[in-house]
Amino acid sequence: MLQHVYLIPLIPLAASLLILLGAKEDPRSPMPFLGIAATGWCLLQSIAIFYGAATGALSLPYAADWSWFTFGATAGGKPFLYDMPVGVLIDGSAAVMLVVVTLVSFLVQVYSLSYMRGDPRFKRYYAYLSFFTASMLGLVVSSNLLVTFCCWELVGFSSYILIGFWFERPEPPYAAKKAFITTKLGDLGLYLALLLIFCQVGSFQIPQIREYVARGFMPAAAATAIGLGILCGAAGKSAQFPLFIWLPDAMEGPTPVSALIHAATMVAAGIYLVAKCYFIFAVSPVAMETVAWTGAITALLAATMAVVSYDIKRVLAFSTVSQLGFMMCALGSWGFSAGLFHLTTHAAFKALLFLCAGSVIHAVHTNDMRQMGNLDKKMPITFFATLAGTFAIAGIPGFSGFFSKDMILEKVFEHDHESPWPMTVPLFVLMALAAFSGWLLDRGEFFTRLVHFDALPGLAPAHEAAHAPAYLTWYVTAAVFFAIYLAYRLYGGSNFREAESIKRRCAPVFNLLERRYYLDEFFLALVGLSDQAARLAFWIDSEVVDRFFVDGWGLLMLALARLCHLFDDSIIDRSVDATGGLSVSLGGTLRWIVRRGLVQEYLLWSAAVMSVLTLLTLPAQRYCLGASVGLGLLAILTLLLVRRPR
Amino acid sequence: MIEAIAFYSMAAVALLGALLVVSLRNTVHSSLALGLSLAGVAGIFANLGADFLFAGQLLIYVGGIAIIIVFVVMLLGRTSDLHLRQVNQQWGAALLVCAMTGVSLWRLARGYLGVRAAAPAAPTTRAIGLLMLGDYAVPFELVTLVLVAALLGAIFFSRKSADGEVPS
Amino acid sequence: MSLGHYLLLGAALFIIGLFGALTRRNVIGILMSIELMFNAANINLAACNSYLHPAGVAGMTLAVFVITVAAAEVVVGLALVLAVYRNSATAYVEDFSLLKG
Repeated sequence: MLQHVYLIPLIPLAASLLILLGAKEDPRSPMPFLGIAATGWCLLQSIAIFYGAATGALSLPYAADWSWFTFGATAGGKPFLYDMPVGVLIDGSAAVMLVVVTLVSFLVQVYSLSYMRGDPRFKRYYAYLSFFTASMLGLVVSSNLLVTFCCWELVGFSSYILIGFWFERPEPPYAAKKAFITTKLGDLGLYLALLLIFCQVGSFQIPQIREYVARGFMPAAAATAIGLGILCGAAGKSAQFPLFIWLPDAMEGPTPVSALIHAATMVAAGIYLVAKCYFIFAVSPVAMETVAWTGAITALLAATMAVVSYDIKRVLAFSTVSQLGFMMCALGSWGFSAGLFHLTTHAAFKALLFLCAGSVIHAVHTNDMRQMGNLDKKMPITFFATLAGTFAIAGIPGFSGFFSKDMILEKVFEHDHESPWPMTVPLFVLMALAAFSGWLLDRGEFFTRLVHFDALPGLAPAHEAAHAPAYLTWYVTAAVFFAIYLAYRLYGGSNFREAESIKRRCAPVFNLLERRYYLDEFFLALVGLSDQAARLAFWIDSEVVDRFFVDGWGLLMLALARLCHLFDDSIIDRSVDATGGLSVSLGGTLRWIVRRGLVQEYLLWSAAVMSVLTLLTLPAQRYCLGASVGLGLLAILTLLLVRRPR
Repeated sequence: MIEAIAFYSMAAVALLGALLVVSLRNTVHSSLALGLSLAGVAGIFANLGADFLFAGQLLIYVGGIAIIIVFVVMLLGRTSDLHLRQVNQQWGAALLVCAMTGVSLWRLARGYLGVRAAAPAAPTTRAIGLLMLGDYAVPFELVTLVLVAALLGAIFFSRKSADGEVPS
Repeated sequence: MSLGHYLLLGAALFIIGLFGALTRRNVIGILMSIELMFNAANINLAACNSYLHPAGVAGMTLAVFVITVAAAEVVVGLALVLAVYRNSATAYVEDFSLLKG
């Protein structure tokens, strides 16, 4: 079945196009079932692949390529014919991601049958969902980084159209634009990283790049630059610091969309990309450290912002950002398997929590948590599901979140046992503050066997792995229980007097958190700055360049043209007129000859001319010529003298 | 010797007659002098051995043209003009022009002063007749046309119409 | 007598005729001067024929043509003179200034 893995992204794409173009909007339209069927088929295929890989029946990694186009290129000074293929690459992480994406997408689509019923654009919603699923699956299976980038952009576009789904209200389009532009900022770094990869390696194929790095051709500086670029893209898409500002606002979209895209799959794309290009980070310690620190800072910041929020979806959004920071920190600490394991468990329990929140919102028609309470009797299923999710995300022993977080903590501790404080203390605080979960496999060993990072030959991690002490787990669990007790004390019950008094006393801190560390204002100021720069450039262009150079050149040409006209008018035209005038005056002068009308005078003139001409035809000796010319002049003189008026 | 005398005498006659033509006040005398000059030219032709030209000159020019001119001069009847000058105001300029032309013509003719006759003259009438009706037949016919045209023109211009008016 | 003598004679006759054509006030005087010029040309033709091409008579033939045409021209000219004299009662060419201006 691995031969048909390329169909997995294509089937939902076909379903999306069919739904979009094939039917009219109709509340009872059967089109959504087409989308659900397509996603269900992909889910079955993914489970089959995962099961085969887990039992060892299928050998991974599997790669297959089809030629797209060819062109000539130069790498390292030597020219060669580059063949750009499109293909699939399935290894352990891809197999796991396939299951995650298809499973959550399938569940969300089923959930939406009831949640989005009655919406005027019901059918189009399913087309968008299938399109997103197709793009995300394309991103997961692709072996060509350029195709991955294309799918990356398509996923961003799907997020845009889904966040702004209810565009009649003013907030969703604004949030959609914010999401798209913020991720675009990150994509700039990713694009530069791709260009650098091609310049260095001469290929976009992941196996070839891996081979190139394994043989040691990649210099550390290039690897650092590429790693930082990839991190930039991942920071945009996976909402790391400072580009996470879009994720809280993205909650304007429908809740199933939030569950699918902004909890489980799209935001995991950044983590997945870093994991796929992990070999580049492996040869650049600087990039690896930056990844870890970015993740840690993000986790802490987002958790603090979640504390002061009252909107249930916003709390979940901040929690997502925090968990993503967690995953990134894991990856940056050589915890490849840990990070991806947490990604898998997080997908499940975060989606669960979002869908539960959606159910609650559907019931009470408000997002404000202060107005919710005592719902456990009225919505028992939702209550138990939320409880399970909360325990999972808190890391209560026995739930999946416990295992994945435990693995992360171990890795982080091992990586940085020289100075544990900056790294581990925030993590302690984190787990106590966030909450989510879903049930998944519990044996971390099993997950590590499936999803692990083959150390490149000769490039094993420089530091030895020291095992984390056993008391780490107990400390963490104790902190979690304390945090749950604290939350119950402050927010349990119907009045929040104690919480309010704490808030009044720590007002400046709360202000900072509520304004999200003024990051929104910072980015808006950045936008304003670029606007000012654009205005300045426009002013220069229109006033200086246009007026001085272009208009000035035009005026110069105008002056030159006037000069030419002057020349033409006064000199050339005058000379032409003078020539004509000369002819006229000559004719007028000649008329003087015939003024008196006497024929004999005409005869005299012609005889005189004839005689002069005959003289000139003779062989000229000097005296003869002189004498004849003199005689001719005398003749003319006589002619003039004899003309007495009649 | 004989030839030189003949030439110079005939030349003198011709030139004298010509001078009289251009200088006499009396137009009748002038026209008679023209006849004399034309006769002298006929003598020159005889000197050259051009017998047909000699005869033709006498017959046509002297006997025809000069006589006609005399007729017309008398027809005009301006015998009372004897006191008037017959030479107009531009005689000086004309003199100069003639001098210049004379200089050039003299220089031209001077080069041929050494050329002598190659053979004694032979009768030419027969040869001219053959040429006229042979090689030059077309010009011959055209000349007859010219004569006819001249005849008609002269008649046209000099007739009087029925009521005594002259055609203008 | 050489060719040059005859040519000089012709030249002299021509010049006298030219002088008469330029200076005579009477119209018939001008016509007579023109006849002198024709005769000068005839002398030249006959002389050159005799001295340079004694075998042929082309020059003399041309001289005959010249005589003929001169005769025709004199006839027409005199008829014109008569017509003009009848209109204006003057035979002096300086009075015929209709071409004035």
